[in-house]
Amino acid sequence: MNRYGRSLASGFLALLGGLGVSSSQALAQAYPTRNITMIVPFAAGGPTDVIARIVTGHMAQTLGQTIIIENVVGAGGTTATTRAARAANDGYTLITGHMGTHAASVPLYPKLAYHPEKDFEPVGLLAGTPILILARKDFAPKDLKEFIAYVKANESKVNAAHAGVGSVSNVSCELLNSVLGVKPIGVPFNGTGPAMNALVAGQVDYMCDQIVNAVPQINGGTIKAYAVATPERNPSLPNVPTTAEAGLPAFQAQAWNAIFAPKGTPPDVVTKLNAAIVKALDDEGVRKRLLELGSVIPPAADRTPAALGTLVKSEIAKWTPVVKPVN
Amino acid sequence: MGDIFSNLGLGFSVVFQFVQWTPAFLGGVSIPIPVNILLCLIGALVGTLVGVLPGIGTIATVAMLLPITFGLPPVGALIMLAGIYYGAQYGGSTTSILVNIPGEAGSVVTALDGFQMAKKGRAGPALAIAAIGSFFAGCVATVLIALLGAPLTRVALAFGPAEYFSLMVLGLIFAVVLAKGSVLKAIAMIVLGLLLSMVGSDIETGASRMAFNIPELADGLGFATLAMGLFGFAEIIRNLDAGGETDRKLVQEKVSGLMPTRRDLKETAPAILRGTVLGSILGILPGGGAVIASFAAYTLEKKVAKDPSKFGHGEIRGVAAPESANNAAAQTSFIPLLTLGIPPNAVMALMVGAMTIHGIVPGPQVMQKQPDLVWGMIASMWVGNLMLLIINLPLVGIWVRLLRVPYRLMFPSIVVFCCIGIYSVNNAPTDVMIAGAFGLVGYWLIKHDFEPAPLLLGMVLGPLMEENLRRALLISRGDWSVFVTRPLSAVLMAIAATLLILAVLPSLRKKRDEVFVESEN
Amino acid sequence: MNATPGHAPVKSIMPKWVRNPQEFVGGIALMAIAVFALWASSDLQGMRGFSFGAGTAPRMFGFLLLGLGALITVVGIFTEGPHLAKYHWRGPFFVTVAILTFAFTIRTMGMIFAAMAAFLIAACGSPETRWTETLIVAVCLTAFCALLFPYALGLPLQLLPTFMIR
Repeated sequence: MNRYGRSLASGFLALLGGLGVSSSQALAQAYPTRNITMIVPFAAGGPTDVIARIVTGHMAQTLGQTIIIENVVGAGGTTATTRAARAANDGYTLITGHMGTHAASVPLYPKLAYHPEKDFEPVGLLAGTPILILARKDFAPKDLKEFIAYVKANESKVNAAHAGVGSVSNVSCELLNSVLGVKPIGVPFNGTGPAMNALVAGQVDYMCDQIVNAVPQINGGTIKAYAVATPERNPSLPNVPTTAEAGLPAFQAQAWNAIFAPKGTPPDVVTKLNAAIVKALDDEGVRKRLLELGSVIPPAADRTPAALGTLVKSEIAKWTPVVKPVN
Repeated sequence: MGDIFSNLGLGFSVVFQFVQWTPAFLGGVSIPIPVNILLCLIGALVGTLVGVLPGIGTIATVAMLLPITFGLPPVGALIMLAGIYYGAQYGGSTTSILVNIPGEAGSVVTALDGFQMAKKGRAGPALAIAAIGSFFAGCVATVLIALLGAPLTRVALAFGPAEYFSLMVLGLIFAVVLAKGSVLKAIAMIVLGLLLSMVGSDIETGASRMAFNIPELADGLGFATLAMGLFGFAEIIRNLDAGGETDRKLVQEKVSGLMPTRRDLKETAPAILRGTVLGSILGILPGGGAVIASFAAYTLEKKVAKDPSKFGHGEIRGVAAPESANNAAAQTSFIPLLTLGIPPNAVMALMVGAMTIHGIVPGPQVMQKQPDLVWGMIASMWVGNLMLLIINLPLVGIWVRLLRVPYRLMFPSIVVFCCIGIYSVNNAPTDVMIAGAFGLVGYWLIKHDFEPAPLLLGMVLGPLMEENLRRALLISRGDWSVFVTRPLSAVLMAIAATLLILAVLPSLRKKRDEVFVESEN
Repeated sequence: MNATPGHAPVKSIMPKWVRNPQEFVGGIALMAIAVFALWASSDLQGMRGFSFGAGTAPRMFGFLLLGLGALITVVGIFTEGPHLAKYHWRGPFFVTVAILTFAFTIRTMGMIFAAMAAFLIAACGSPETRWTETLIVAVCLTAFCALLFPYALGLPLQLLPTFMIR
């Protein structure tokens, strides 16, 4: 009942107050005075959704308001991101974007209805999920060096699975292939589940995927991992070398997740939100849950809105030459 | 065998776990509370409640309610989700039977005879037999999972793209062979469904197909949206011009008995058994086996029936068999998740999401690492099914009474529920408009004697068929012979070919008007 | 939910040589849909070497539907069948307007308004509607939905119009 009462009361207050007193400053000082909607452009339970829920759960305590998660699925997350770009820039509608929605989408969809830099204020980076190079368990190459040689030699024979055009696994595999200079056949699946199923069953040879989905399969011995595409090894897979260690330093990829607000959101609102994110990322409980998922928590220097802005710019530059546009 | 019993024992001990509750107002007296049983009950109740709302199918219900389980401990959350899942399934059949609005592919078949039974005043027995059939199927499938889960996994892995393509071809041939009197029109509807399923982004290139830059069409037309339009809204519109009030009065006068008669039970027992077997087998196949389970069961029932002409006119076996198959498939579709840690369908992917939220990511070792979770869930399936039976048999009376609400009040309510239902699935107003447009299309189809059921079937099977065909050809580098050189695929193709040849023979011609015939009022 | 094919002798606008107008018109409509689909997918790529292009399957099904539509039309010419069924405008019109009203108001006016409006507009679709009871049921149903969806089920549905929340 709380929510209803409060919105009703604030509605009447706004009416009584003549609707005119809302200068952005007065708003920002009191911010937040009502529930915040957080759009998550993917299904509940996916990697981005899980990270968003863990962090916003803590942010809500700091901000003293409920954060309602609204999952809006469609077109690789761009449907939801378009909606967020057009939402009121009052700090009450936010979006948890990721590598796909706020970087790779730019080269992928030439007709994209928003631009990650022009239509959004960066708020803060949440956490990243490292990308792994995976293969079926009986795939001939034993390590990454052999894998590189094998794929180059058998370019026309190998099959690379991915979870659908524009998915993290698709986009990062494109990067791997362009680093290797090969163009194998890409076999598309509907989501990571079916793609992983095909890899476990040995119907395809290799794929790139986020660490969350792959750790239990690797530990269970149903598939094998050649390398993790981050500068450091991941605590959940201590035996898997980094791409730099294994001989492919040029392949670096991480599915980062971050909070954005529509362009023009007052700076002090952004500051308040960013402070709440930073506080959440320093919380022991939040850190523990994120690390369990194999996520990488950004260091303090990378958590500012400005740092996120720089990241978006560099990521767009990184993916543009790699990702083929769809029409 | 001993293992199985100790494992099931572990499972039931998890489900029947008591937590001591010591509230302050009782002054230190603690009450043992069976938390997991309560969660299962709440899940089943809420699932039924939401699933019964027209416009919300199983996947949508589970997706919608997933967040409410996030605050619970992992085992409890999963037990509750399992409850929601079965509840939603059962609730979905209730709407199909009462108001002819299927929320998912499986219920389309239930609606064929279920709604006709309701029209004849036999909504009670239809609902009851659906519950009984589902419970029986659920029990058998639970035992099957416990006994044969691990070996059956190999079947799931043996099915590659080529096999799935062949399976989908078989599914379409089923539809053609047993379609209505005018086979031509039925085939045309299937093809129209296939064509509609092409809308959206292409799986291989991501190219937008026939989406006209409408963002909500980028991922294609939703099944629920289409079903709601073609069945729900179209039915309302049609009733409005036929004078729905008189129609309904007839129904109320006819209501006879809430429970199935002894004869009903005797008739349906073998149907339930066949449905269970068929559903259990098809459910294991992760890439769409469950979709055709209820459909295949219905077809089989018609084939073996002495008097197939009753089907489509309120034949109780036409409700019992597909409902049993559906539930058995829903149950056995857990197998790949429990043994491989790979979600075989959208609902299972949501289950994995629920586990991920709690930091458990299932993998092939989930049985060894989290035996309490796995066996607790298997046991909770059985408990969930039992609860649904207990909840739903008394509810039958209430549902049937709902039919007595005058149609002039009923239809605006259905319109509102459908709108909210479709909207809340993806918070997209465009989906509501699309459903409205298909309502008009459905009205037109009725006026021209085209049936929506084959259309929906084509819509469901279309993407599965195209995607698997393309995957198979990509992997084989364009070699079409894979479909006959891979043994499993070859067998499926052979069955499909045999059916097709039989269909050309005039002897079968008579039987055609039986599956998809819906009503003559 | 099948047709009650219009057996009523309606004055036919069909030429005499069409013996089954229902199938004839149905077939032509299917052909029109097929042509439209073929046009809509004409910008899509066809076969690329051994693999399907984005347009391969839609075109395949498009041509198939075109053929089937033509067959049905031909059947409509040569076999005897019912007249075109009679269309009514009132039901379809109000139900459609109700659905559209809901779709256009849900995000700005909130669920309470949208549900009420949709209910009342849909109710106009039936001549049997009695307004007092309809109003009462509309209020009760809206209240029920307002409690059920956002509170009991925790869905992110906005109840009140946006201008009242701001």
